[in-house]
This record gives sequence, C-alpha cells and structure tokens, in this order.
Amino acid sequence: MTRQLELNVALLATLVVFVLGIAILGFGRDIGYVLHGWIIAGTAGWGAMYLINRLSDPAPSIPLEYKDDVIKWGVLACFVWGVFGFTIGDVLAWQLTIPAFNGDMSWSNFGRIRPMHTTAVIFGFGGNALIATSFYVVQRTSRARLASETAPWLVLIGFNLFVLLAVTGYPMGITQSKEYAEPEWYADLILLVAWVGYLWLYMATLARRAEPHIYVANWYYLGFIVVIAMLHVVNNLAVPVSIAYPKSYPLFAGVQDAMTQWWYGHNAVGFLLTAGFLGMMYYFLPKAAGRPIYSYRMSILGFWGITFLYLWAGSHHLHYTALPDWVQYLGMSMSIILLVPSWGSVFNGLLTLNGAWDKVRTDPAIRFMMVAILFYGLATFEGSFLAIRPVNTLSHYTDWTVGHVHAGALGWVAFITFGAMYKMVPWIWKREGTYSLRLEAWHFWLALSGTLIYVGAMWNSGITQSLMWQTYQPSGAFTYGFIDTVDAMRPYYTARAIGGLLYLIGALIGAYNIYMTVNGPRVTSQDADARPLARPAE
Amino acid sequence: MTPETHDAVLVFSKTWGAVYLSVVFLLAALWTYWPSRKSVYDKAEQSPLGNEEIRQ
Repeated sequence: MTRQLELNVALLATLVVFVLGIAILGFGRDIGYVLHGWIIAGTAGWGAMYLINRLSDPAPSIPLEYKDDVIKWGVLACFVWGVFGFTIGDVLAWQLTIPAFNGDMSWSNFGRIRPMHTTAVIFGFGGNALIATSFYVVQRTSRARLASETAPWLVLIGFNLFVLLAVTGYPMGITQSKEYAEPEWYADLILLVAWVGYLWLYMATLARRAEPHIYVANWYYLGFIVVIAMLHVVNNLAVPVSIAYPKSYPLFAGVQDAMTQWWYGHNAVGFLLTAGFLGMMYYFLPKAAGRPIYSYRMSILGFWGITFLYLWAGSHHLHYTALPDWVQYLGMSMSIILLVPSWGSVFNGLLTLNGAWDKVRTDPAIRFMMVAILFYGLATFEGSFLAIRPVNTLSHYTDWTVGHVHAGALGWVAFITFGAMYKMVPWIWKREGTYSLRLEAWHFWLALSGTLIYVGAMWNSGITQSLMWQTYQPSGAFTYGFIDTVDAMRPYYTARAIGGLLYLIGALIGAYNIYMTVNGPRVTSQDADARPLARPAE
Repeated sequence: MTPETHDAVLVFSKTWGAVYLSVVFLLAALWTYWPSRKSVYDKAEQSPLGNEEIRQ
C-alpha cells in the first residue's frame, strides 16, 4: 500500500469513528453515554487532524531501523492498566472481606467494579503487553521494520480507547452483561476498527520479512489476532436500541446466546491469554536464555493442537445447563485432549532451559518466565480436570473457578509478561540492563507468595463452599443455609485479599524498576579499550 | 430450521467434521516432521539468538 492510500484509509476509518462520537454526544440522553461521545469524538478528531496534516506533508524518509517508539507507549499503557487493574482487584477482595468497604455507593458495588478489574487486567494489561511485544517480535524475527508508520498508532490508540470506554462505562452502569465482553456496541465497533488495522499491519510486516521462514512466535501471535477478530465479531452481534442510548440486544437468544458467549469466553482465554503469551514465551525465553527452543517442531505441532482443540472447549462452561448433552460432552472431551498440546508447550519451555538453569538463580527475569511455565502447566492441568462433568458438579459456581483463573492470570500471564518486560525494556530503550536486579527479585518473591496465598485460599474456600452446599440432612433438607457458607468464607477471603496486596506491591515495585530503567543511563557505545582505565585510589 | 435439518447437519458435522479436522491435523503433523524439512527448522530455531540486524 502506498503512503497516500494508507493515510487515506486511516483517515476514513478515523472519520467514521469521529462521526460515531459526534452522533453519540449529540443524540445521547444519559450523562455517561454523552461523556463517551466526547471522548470518542475528541480522540478521533485529534487523530483526523493529525492525519490531514500528514497528508499535506512531504513523505518523510523512513530510517533503516526498527520502529520501537510505539512499543514504548505500549509498555507504558501495559503498566498503567496493570497497576490500576491490580488495585481495583484488591479493593474488591477487601470489599468481600469487609463488605462495609463498598461505602454503600451504587458505582462501587461488585457487579460494576468487577468488570473494571477484569477488563483492565485482561485487555489493558494483557492486551497492551501482547501488542507491544508482538510489534517487537515480528520486526526482529522478520528483520523488517513495521509495514506502516501510522497503522501502529491507530492500533495502539484505538485499542486503549476501547479499554478506556469499557472501564469508565461500567461504574455508570453501561454494560451488555456478557462476561469479558461487557462493552456496548459502540465500543465494540471501535475495537473492530483497531483490530482490523492490527491484523493488516501484522500480515503486511510478515510479508516484508527478509527471512524465508516465519518464526513460530509469529504463528502464535497471528493465531491470537485472527481468532480474537472472529470471536469479537460473532459474540458482539447485537442490535442497538437507538443512537440515544448505549443499550443493545444480542442477536442470539437463550442457550444459543450462552453457547456463543462461552465459545467467545473460553477462546479469549485460549487465544488471548494462552496463544498470545505462548508467542511471547517462544521468543523471549530462548532469547533471554541464549538457548534455542528445545524442539522447534514440537512448538509448531503444539500450535496446531491448540488451534484445533481450543475452539471446541467452551461448552464446558455450561455443564448441566439447557445446552444439549452432546455439546457438553464434546467440550469436555476436547478440554481433556487439550492437555496434550498444553503440556507439550510446558515441557518444551522448561527443557529449553537445559544448559541455562544457572540463569534461573541469577536472573530474576528468567526466573519469572520459568515459574510462569510451571503455573501454565498447573492451570492447564486443573482446567482439563475441572472440565470433567462430575468434577464440575463440585467446582462450578464456587471460588475454585476463581482460584483456577488466577493461577493462570497471575501465575502464567502476568509472570511471563513481567519476565519479557524486564528483558524488552532495556533492549528498546538501549539500557545496559534493568535498574535493579535486587528489586526485580523482590518483585518476583512478592508476586509468587501473593499468587500462592491467593490460589491456596481459593482452593480451600471453593471446596468448602461446594461441600457445604451439598450437605443434606436425612430428611433431604439442606444442613447449611446459604448465609452459613458465606460466613465460613471469612478466613479465606482475608487471606486472598492479603495475597492480592502482596501481588500489587510487587507490581508497584516492578513499575518503579521499569521507570528507573527508562530514566537511567543509555548503553555506552564505546568499546572497553576506549574508556579511561580504572585507577586505584591513592 | 426443522428438526430433520438440524439432525442432518449434526450428523454431518459429527462424522465428516471429525474426519476433516483429523486429516488436516495429520497433514500438518506430517508436513512439520517430514525429514527433508528438518534443516528449515534447525535454521529457524537459531533465528532469535543472533543480533537480529534489520535488513529491510
């Protein structure tokens, strides 16, 4: 695509979003919705002005170097959303421990700020981490600069606009009540624009590659981008009531809607939180350890295994519901078989460290990645196990699910992200290394103890809940009232809130360390023999 | 959709769908593990380990 055409397409997309924003702020009736109109129109209007200016500028000369400026902003967004999301999560944990903490305010109830937490950590923290690292990886492994100067900004700003609209909408009650897909139609349309740009940019950059083979990390990243595009469109097919209100109704009804939602929900786990981060692992782990992937061919086979199997597993979220039994058994079987490629990736990752295990002791970033793989192995085993129907009768609707999700999210997703960030930040800002290895180690141990406390507490609380719910008297009446099971949660919820607090403190230390690294001295380009000799003091 | 159409689509996807997925997966596995393609992967796995100079 020529520069002129590309700028015109970007301008057109931006203007469409701008008109959407104007329509919302003009016709909207609710304050939150109108505010969103202003945010959309302001961002898109500013983007359109920028693009119009570029259209009249002479074509700039593009330097022969990797385009890393957009990655730096992606890292910033990742940490800002991360700290925000972890904080909200721990506030929620304390509210559950001491309910008075919600202050009796409508906007701070669990139903409104829980999606703020999940959106901020999954999309804000995880999504920005994937966008930033994927831009880094695709350029290095292709030996080519990103295929566009404007599209990366469109992707990053559009994506973060979506997250901002989502997170600011929930406390004001704007939600379509689909888990992990809460944002309403207008925010979904903006994500669609950004995501199409992302897909095009990624493929165009791969097409420019100077290497014959596409390195496997790109397969995983591309799988993540393609599948998220598909899931997002299908699960958000909805009819808005009117331009005056954010409300919409989904195209599907009843159990079809539930199945579509969990096909989406589970594959968001499979392709955003798994495939994308496996892409991160398959680049940053070998690079940091200085060892090639243990079995490159197994990583490709694992890719196809995950791609084929994950897409069928979503129905295990709907065991013993109105969903036809055969769909439930299909989801259960696929979830169990999924353990094979999942553990294939686990062993492939761990065995990559053969010959470099000393670095697990000396380099906290590699320790982060190694423990991430262990948690990935734990969470995928647990996931396959929980998908078995009789096991699900014990675990479903209990805190065990919450513990399982956090083993994956805190232990796998965030650990691999922190490991990769501690490597990538000094590389893109051209620093010798991180500001402090000691702080990195503190971050690691706080995060690990926080995760173990969290997950351990939820295993206990989940199984306690389930057993209390299922205890009957000889007459067939329940032995415990529901409120008794709530009361029994006190020690576990306190432990969980403490675990979350440790994790948050670790992340704050990590953010400080990253900030100081960026603020620190650049790598000196001088050779050792060009520097003054060190002299002993007289 | 009549119940008969639903059943027909179901039988088709349960049988031919499974065959299709298995065959595609087998082909991918064969392609990946074909002995003559070993050198491609041996070279690829070294790709991130160098200094990754930009060429384009």
